Amino acid sequence: MESIYILIPIAMIFVIIGIALFFWSVHSNQFKDLDREAVNILIDEDIHPPSKKKKN
Amino acid sequence: MSDQQLCFHCNEVNPPSSSFNVEINGEMQLMCCAGCEAVAQTIIDGGLISYYTHRTQKSVKADQLIPEELKKLDYYDIDLIQEDFVKKREDLSEISLSIQGITCAACAWLIEKKLRCLAGLKFINVDTTLNRALIRWDEDLLKLSKILKEIQSIGYKAYPFQINQQEIIYSELTKSYLKRIGLAGLATMQVMMFAIALYAKFFSSMEAQFTEYFRWVSLIFATPVLLYSAQPFYLNAWRSIRNKSLGMDIPISIALIGAFTASAYATIVGTGEVYFESVSMFTFLLLLGRLLELRARRKAIETSSNLLRLIPTTATLISPNSSEETSLIPAKSLKVNDLILVKAGSIIPGDGIIIDGTSNIEESMLTGEHLPIKKQQNSAVFAGTMNITSPLRISITKTLQNSLIAEIIELQGNAQINKPNIEILADKVARYFVGALLIIATITYIAWYYIAPNEAFWITLSVLVATCPCALSLATPTALTCATAQLNKQGLLIKQHHVLETINHIDNIIFDKTGTLTHGNFTLLNTRLYSDYTEQQAIDLAAQLESSSEHPIAQAFKRLQKNAIELRNIQSFVSEGLQATYQNKIVKLGHAIFCNTLALKSTDLVVYLTVENELVAAFELGDELRKSAFSLLDRCHQQNISTSLLTGDISDKGDEIAALLKFDTLKKGVTPEQKLRYLTQLQQKHKVMMIGDGINDAPVLAGAHISVTLDSGTDLAKNSADVILLSGDLNNIFFLIQIGKKVTRIIKQNLSWAIGYNLVIIPLAITGHVLPYIAVIGMSFSSLIVVSNSLRLFKE
Repeated sequence: MESIYILIPIAMIFVIIGIALFFWSVHSNQFKDLDREAVNILIDEDIHPPSKKKKN
Repeated sequence: MSDQQLCFHCNEVNPPSSSFNVEINGEMQLMCCAGCEAVAQTIIDGGLISYYTHRTQKSVKADQLIPEELKKLDYYDIDLIQEDFVKKREDLSEISLSIQGITCAACAWLIEKKLRCLAGLKFINVDTTLNRALIRWDEDLLKLSKILKEIQSIGYKAYPFQINQQEIIYSELTKSYLKRIGLAGLATMQVMMFAIALYAKFFSSMEAQFTEYFRWVSLIFATPVLLYSAQPFYLNAWRSIRNKSLGMDIPISIALIGAFTASAYATIVGTGEVYFESVSMFTFLLLLGRLLELRARRKAIETSSNLLRLIPTTATLISPNSSEETSLIPAKSLKVNDLILVKAGSIIPGDGIIIDGTSNIEESMLTGEHLPIKKQQNSAVFAGTMNITSPLRISITKTLQNSLIAEIIELQGNAQINKPNIEILADKVARYFVGALLIIATITYIAWYYIAPNEAFWITLSVLVATCPCALSLATPTALTCATAQLNKQGLLIKQHHVLETINHIDNIIFDKTGTLTHGNFTLLNTRLYSDYTEQQAIDLAAQLESSSEHPIAQAFKRLQKNAIELRNIQSFVSEGLQATYQNKIVKLGHAIFCNTLALKSTDLVVYLTVENELVAAFELGDELRKSAFSLLDRCHQQNISTSLLTGDISDKGDEIAALLKFDTLKKGVTPEQKLRYLTQLQQKHKVMMIGDGINDAPVLAGAHISVTLDSGTDLAKNSADVILLSGDLNNIFFLIQIGKKVTRIIKQNLSWAIGYNLVIIPLAITGHVLPYIAVIGMSFSSLIVVSNSLRLFKE
C-alpha cells in the first residue's frame, strides 16, 4: 500500500503533462475545424502528380 | 445508367440534349451546363481527380465565368482598396476569405491543392465549418485577383469579408472556455477516483493516514478547478451583485466557494466532510452547458459574418486638370467637390449632383421602389444607388461619413440602443430561486446555531451543495443549443438567444414589401399578343433588343430568351425605350407613347413591342410575390397575429399587395425615420417582429423585439437582424415559431423538474439528512434528466 505515496505523485505529473498538451492544442487552433482533418488523410494521395497547368 | 440524367458535377437534371461532357476516369460524364463542364475540366487537368472519388456531397452548380465579372476582381489589386482587408506581415500579405460553395471536406482539399500550385502562395488553410480560407502570399510574385480567379475556376466564389467584432470576442471566449473545461475535466476524473476510495470508507475501514493522504491529493487537484476553471461564475456573480440583481451565478459561486473552503479547512484540520468531487464535477458540468450555448451562438455569428462581403466600392475620379485623365480610388477617400465618372451598371460611390448626363437610377435601397428613376443635370444622387442606363459625371457634395446612407446607419445605432429590454424565463426563475435559496440557507444557519452550534456551518453548506442549481442552470442552455442546431439545419441563423422565447409572445408582424414579400427583381407576369407572332418570338425579339441593357427589365427578358435574333443598329432612348432594325423593319420596345399605341390599364409596368408601328405584344412586368408569402400571411391570420406592410414605395402596387394578402395595416411611402416611429409606437403595447431586407429597413430591424432578414438582404440589414433566413423561404418563419413553442415547453419542463428535485432535497438537507454522496448522485441524476429532455428537440 505504501507504494501509492510514489505512484500518485507520478500520476499527477502525467495529468499536468496532459493539461499542458491540451492547452497547447487549443492555442494552436486545433479545435477549430473538427470535420476536416479527419478525412484529409483519405483524400491526400497523389494519383499522378499535378501536371503544371497550361493556363498559367 | 439512370444517373446519367443528372449532372456529374452538381447533380442537377441535365437538359435533354446536353452536349457538355468531360472524360473522367476513362468514362465520358455528362454535365448540365458550360459552367460545370469548365470546372470539371479544370479539376481533371489539375490532376485533382481524387476530389470526385472522395467527396461526400455533390458540388454546387457552377456559373459560367463572365469576363466582365472576372475583370471586377482586378479592383482587389488596388493598394488603397486592399488596406481594408489585407494584413501585411513582414513581407507576406494575409487575407481571410469567405468561400461560397463548400459542401464537404473534399472541397477544402480541392481548393488547397489547386492554390498550392500557384507560385508565391506561402500558406493556405481552408476551414470547412466556417467556409473560410486563410491565405498568406508574396505580393511580388502573386496578385490577389489571381488567387480569387483561381478559386472561381474550380467552381467556388471567394470574397473578402468583414470579421464581426463580436466574432473575435466569441472566438477568444470559446477558447478560454475550452481550456477551463479541459482542466476541470481532467482534474475531476482524478478527484472522483479518490472520492470513490473515500466513499469506500463508509462501507469498510481504511487507515486514517490514507484517508488524509487522499484528501490532500484531492485538494491539490480541486484547487486549480476552483481558481481557474470556475472563474467565469465568480465574475458573473460579481457583475450581477454590482447591478443589484440576483443571477444564477450567485448561488453557484456561494456553493462553490463555500464547499471548497469548508473542505480545505476540513483537510487541514483533519475533521469534517470534504466535497472536492462535488465541487469539481459541478464546475465541469456547468461549464459544459455554458460552452454548448456559446458555440451555438458563435456559429450563428460566424456564419452571418461570412455574409458580410466586402465588395470594394471604387470610384473613378476625374482629374481636375484634364477630363480625359481618370484614376480608380476607393469610395471612402472621396472628398467634397471631387468630380467622378459613374459608368452605366455601376454603383454610385458617393452623394452628389449630376454635372453631365442623363440616366435612369435605381434607388430601391432607399425607397424600396425597384423601377429606376430618371435623373438629369443638377439632380441629386445618393451613395449606394445604381446607375442603370448611361454614364454620368457627378460632383461629390458630401463625404461618405455624412452621406444619406451614413445617416441611416446612425439611425440604426440609436434604434439598437433603445431596443426594448427582453428578459428570458430562466433569468426570472433564477431570480426567485436565488432569493428563496439565500433566505432558506440563512434561516437554516440561524436555526441550527441555536440547536447545535457545531453542526450549523456544515448543515448550511450541505443545503447549498445539495440544492446546487446545476440542473436549473443547464435547463435553458441545453434546450436552446439543441433548438438552434435544429434551426441551423433548416437554414435559419439565430443570432440572439432570446429569440426562441420572445417569439411566443409576438402578436404583430411588420413586413417590408420589395425583396421580402416579393423576390426583389422584375419578372414577366403576363404577355398579351396582338398579331401572328408567337409568345416566344415576341420574347426573343424583346430580349434581343434589351441584350446590351443593364436595366432590371432587361434581365427579366434575358432569362426567357431561347433563340438569338439578328438585329441591327440598336438605339437606346433614355427613359423611353429601344429601337432596332429587324429584317428591314423598325422594331420598338418601350412605353406606350414611345411606341405610338394606346396604354393598357394595369398596376404593373407595361412594355409594348411594335414592328413597323404595328402592336405585336404588350408585356406586363412586375416584382413577383414569393409563394411562401401567401401561406405565411394565412397562418398569421389564423393565429390572430396582426400584420402591417411598410413600404417606401408610393405606387399602387402596395395597395394591391395589401389587399391580396389581407394586411391589417398599410403604410406607403414611408422614410426610414417614419418606419422607426411606427415601430416604437406599436411596441408600447405589442411585441413586434419585423421582416425586412433593405437598407431602409435597417433601423426598424435594429429596434424590433425580433428582426428577421433574408440572405439576399443588404449587409446593413443582416447586421441588425436577430434571425437570418438563408433559404429565402418565408415559411421558415413559421417553423421558427413552432420550434420556439417547443423550446419554451421543454425549458418549462426542465425548470419544473429542477425545482421539484430541490423541493424534495431541501427539507432533507435542512434537517441534516443528506450524506455527501447522495447529494452528488442526486445532482448528476437531475442534470442528466434535463440534458436528455433537451435532446428530444433533435427528433424529427
